Amino acid sequence: MIVIKPKKYFEVCIEAELTPELATKSMEEVKKFKVYYGNRVVELGELFEVTKTGDEKKLVLEGDFSRVKWIGARMADGEIIVKGSVGANCGAFMKGGRIVIEGNADDWLGIEMSGGEIIVKGNAANLVGCAYYGDAVGMTAGKILIEGNAGNYIGEKMNGGEIVIKGNAGDFVGTEMRAGVIEIHGSCGFVGGDMRGGEIRIKGKFELLPTFRKTEKGWVGDVNVKGEGVVKSL
Amino acid sequence: MLWIKNGIVIDPKNKIKAEKMDIFVKNGKIVPEGEVKREECRVIDASGKLVVAGGVDMHAHIAGSKINTGRTMRPEEMRVVRNVAGKFRAAVGRVLLTAPAIGYEYAKMGYTTSFEAAQPPIGALHTHEELDAIPMIDKAALPVFGNWHLVFKCIEEKNLEKLKTLIAWAIERSKGFGVKVVNPGGVEAWMYGGNVKSLDDQVPGFNVTPREIITMLIKANEELGLPHSVHLHCNNLGVPGNFQTTIESIKLAKGFSNSKRQVLHVTHVQFNAYAGSSWRDAASGAAEIAKVVNSMDNVTIDMGQPIFGHATAMTGDAPFQFTLHKLTGARWSNKDTEVETGAGIVPLVYLPNNPVHALQWAIGLELGLLVDSNKVALTTDYPNGGPFTEYPYVMAMLMSRKMREGELSKVNAYVQKATGLASIDVEKTLYEIINMTRSLPARILGLQNKGHLGIGADADIAIYNLNPLETDTSKDFEKVYKAFKSAEYTIKSGEIISRNGEIVKEVFGRTFWVDARKKVDMEAVMNDIRDYFQYYSVQLGNYGVEERWIKKPERLEVV
Amino acid sequence: MEDVICTFCGSVCDDGEFDAEKKKVKKFCRLGSAKFSEKERIKAPMVDGKEVSYETAIEKAAEILVNAKKPLLYGWASTANEAIRLGVILAEKLRGVYDQCASVCHAPGTLAVIEEGLPGATLGSVKNRADVVVFWGSNPAEAHPRHGMRYSISAKGLLIKDRKQRKVVVFDVRPTKTAKMADLFIQVKPGYDYAVISALRAILSGNADVVPSEVGGVAKEKLLQLAEMMKNAKYGAIFYGLGVTQSRGRDRNVENAIKLIQLLNRTTRWIIWPMRGHYNVVGAGEVPAWEVGYQYAIDFSRGYPRFSPAEFSAVEVLKRKDCDAALIVASDPAAHFPAAAVKHLKQIPVIQIDPFPNMTTLLAKVVIPSAVYGIEAEGTAYRMDGIPLRVKKILETSYWTDEKILEEILKRVEKLKG
Repeated sequence: MIVIKPKKYFEVCIEAELTPELATKSMEEVKKFKVYYGNRVVELGELFEVTKTGDEKKLVLEGDFSRVKWIGARMADGEIIVKGSVGANCGAFMKGGRIVIEGNADDWLGIEMSGGEIIVKGNAANLVGCAYYGDAVGMTAGKILIEGNAGNYIGEKMNGGEIVIKGNAGDFVGTEMRAGVIEIHGSCGFVGGDMRGGEIRIKGKFELLPTFRKTEKGWVGDVNVKGEGVVKSL
Repeated sequence: MLWIKNGIVIDPKNKIKAEKMDIFVKNGKIVPEGEVKREECRVIDASGKLVVAGGVDMHAHIAGSKINTGRTMRPEEMRVVRNVAGKFRAAVGRVLLTAPAIGYEYAKMGYTTSFEAAQPPIGALHTHEELDAIPMIDKAALPVFGNWHLVFKCIEEKNLEKLKTLIAWAIERSKGFGVKVVNPGGVEAWMYGGNVKSLDDQVPGFNVTPREIITMLIKANEELGLPHSVHLHCNNLGVPGNFQTTIESIKLAKGFSNSKRQVLHVTHVQFNAYAGSSWRDAASGAAEIAKVVNSMDNVTIDMGQPIFGHATAMTGDAPFQFTLHKLTGARWSNKDTEVETGAGIVPLVYLPNNPVHALQWAIGLELGLLVDSNKVALTTDYPNGGPFTEYPYVMAMLMSRKMREGELSKVNAYVQKATGLASIDVEKTLYEIINMTRSLPARILGLQNKGHLGIGADADIAIYNLNPLETDTSKDFEKVYKAFKSAEYTIKSGEIISRNGEIVKEVFGRTFWVDARKKVDMEAVMNDIRDYFQYYSVQLGNYGVEERWIKKPERLEVV
Repeated sequence: MEDVICTFCGSVCDDGEFDAEKKKVKKFCRLGSAKFSEKERIKAPMVDGKEVSYETAIEKAAEILVNAKKPLLYGWASTANEAIRLGVILAEKLRGVYDQCASVCHAPGTLAVIEEGLPGATLGSVKNRADVVVFWGSNPAEAHPRHGMRYSISAKGLLIKDRKQRKVVVFDVRPTKTAKMADLFIQVKPGYDYAVISALRAILSGNADVVPSEVGGVAKEKLLQLAEMMKNAKYGAIFYGLGVTQSRGRDRNVENAIKLIQLLNRTTRWIIWPMRGHYNVVGAGEVPAWEVGYQYAIDFSRGYPRFSPAEFSAVEVLKRKDCDAALIVASDPAAHFPAAAVKHLKQIPVIQIDPFPNMTTLLAKVVIPSAVYGIEAEGTAYRMDGIPLRVKKILETSYWTDEKILEEILKRVEKLKG
């Protein structure tokens, strides 16, 4: 297990594609891991205090990581615990393993996730489990759980997997969704635009688009794309 | 000064068939040995290597509004990093490339000239800004005439003098190179939601037909004596059964003659070579077209070869682009352009398992194989068919039956019954392929100093790691492909710009444009133009591009 | 001088007549005329409030930019392409961030283009052919005063010979000045454009039965009426503005509208186009697109361009405190950006290049005054529909152009970086 703590205040954001794989390396290698500090390529050890205990495939990020981006990108296994908030693109293209964020998450959480689990104890921002700019498919498997609230754009172009938001969400939940499940325990805004498949369950209030047919299953649509997605109350 | 020593030269224009020869360069030109001092020369040892003129791409979409909208639409294309910024510019792009990337990739491959295939006249300044941003190559743009109201009016009046004057005026204003015609009449029909289906359909709102448009433009072009001929993208592109329209269009060249070059160049013929009546029974019309082209001595074509993988359809053929959008459900951009033309863009992917894509792929190759090598130029209609960086794939395929057999085994079996590709034995020679990529395109365009290594030619030279005397292009297709993918040396105007696929120096080429104003009396058409400008949304005084706005213009005067 | 080209709004009217004696321009609207009349200028280059030479200011600017870990280069919408190109190359050289004004205006349109494409036309096509014109969340009567008479409302053309041959529809959250000139005004509840567009798509694709009796404050009958009008148009045009891009829905609003246009094109002809604000905001996006592949929000930290509006839009970069120096060209973020962003802008060294003083000048460490394109300098600009126009130099000046200033900064930067 590796514990990583910021050494100082960061003048600009850091891009650090830290994955649990790092915990299997020697301390030397970990300290020399290259991160981007703005346009400077810098060693992890220069900006962060690093301590190693045992060989568990686990990273513990202690402190304010809200301006550290790309944590857990493409990770395949192991665990990352962020004892604080985390920056944008956390868990992007994740294939497996587990990320727990005790604080808040920034935009683009779990981009095009294809496995694994992300848990946010605080709030998430916009673009949760979505497809990246110009890509055709979003999340395909895995689970994202947000205990607090989320922003706009949830699970767009989703093709599998599960997103659960215990609090409220914003607009554009499940736009162009094809498969998978989105569950919102609070309230949200616009739901199901151009939905083709999958299921969205909402406990609180929501704004369904005027393009869904009421059936026993729930609201089926979006008729504009001859969709068979289901939106229903939780 | 350069001395390229002991290379094996292939120069079809000058009938040099793989001969050991030295090439001398001074002040950006190829010169006789007597004009250089050997001691002052930089020596390139080209022993055992192939030395040819830099490649000439006579039809590619490399600059202008629709290319840029294509980039904007497809950020996913831009994530492939080809060069990290350092000594040279950052260069990115998968099939769609940024301007620096276009220049660098052509250079790496040994290509030194490329022509933007379709320039909307009112947008000419944008086209030139983008051409100026492309490093390395010499370039030009072809303005489009086939749906321009001003052209329709001259033809309605059957006034050849006015049409000639209009062409001279338009090419000067757009700083263009020649007369491009895209789906004549069809794009105007699209303004009403339609298209034209035959050469004799009437263009809505005007008393003209595609047949008249093409014929009169050829006549005007030939009387003006422009360096390039009319360059035609036929009606009915992409429609099963369209090969008939293509043959009819080709035959419109009958009766015209020009001692220097063709009178009609038909472009990306693959997209216009389909037999059958629908996509269910679509088949190849390549053999029929090849027969007609081979029987005529005044028509040339280029292939428009699809390459499996990503591509982007972008043309001035707006109605076709909408049809493609409906067929594939893909994203679609459109730009109706004042009273001049239109454009459309649709992303696409060619998949070997898809029977239609496999058919298109096979047809492109059939055309390259069946048409005489002095009548068919090699293109992919970049980016419509695929990346220009895969020209070496096409080159190797045309020279090797074995390579084709291997590829055929990987594509949908539909091509076995729908095309004759599997049974074509033809293996073009290296000499023929060099002709199809250098001398022929230069001749088609009317560029005297390009595409060959004779005295006086521009010193645009490519040296490849391939010994033509020892290579069996039929068997060693892997080697051939690799060799042509990255030139060992690419020389532009006498400067070495690329070595073994790495850029070593950045230069900027010239923009050619044609000035035919001395051949006409400009007043013949100015009143009509002034009058019609009420239908434009810009002032006549603000229309056009001044030469000094272009970084390195080179005017070719027609006398 | 005739055929003078206005460098104020995206209409880029090019029929101005400049009176050299009176130093006034005729035919332009009040917005354009104001630009062409005498205005307060930044007198000389300044560093820390003290007047210096151009060379000194440029030297200082280069130093600040090279030392930054993540410089932000922002603005660009009110300068010419020649300058923008240098700005992009500079951002690439510095490995900083390039962003332009669209990121707070019409960027949602660009995101929609990425999702669906842009089925459009030039303004001349609209003038000549459009028998139905819809202004959605756009109020040209105030923001683009001559747009209607030149291109879209009273403009006459090839097929539209009379105002009566055209139906003008305004779709907005309140009756605007443009609404008063329209044949039909539809008031929508703020934040419901997306839902209304979905309803229109459903009606036009034969699913009217699913649509409830009221959507976003608009009665179903009104929607049916509008759908009918759109279906029967021979050539329709939707012009949309900030009412749609900067309200609830943003890029999804535009994307939905584009899907509506795609549907309409199956039976008739329709186009859609954004009402761009600044005279060369289109250039500020087109130039980086051909140079580096994207229109805005571009990061060069890794030596190659990366596009991510959520991270690299100027406002996002400032809010996250993700930049440590800023070069602001032809723009006023201090006046227009949200407080959280301006707060960080005040903490970092700012270099401003602009002809006119504004709020950003007050917090700039280095101020470099430049010539006004279209009046004191010649350059290329793209009208809102992408048509390129070469704005003219009609008055002499001793101010350096943006192009020259950026060229010199680039030279110094190249020298400092070795």
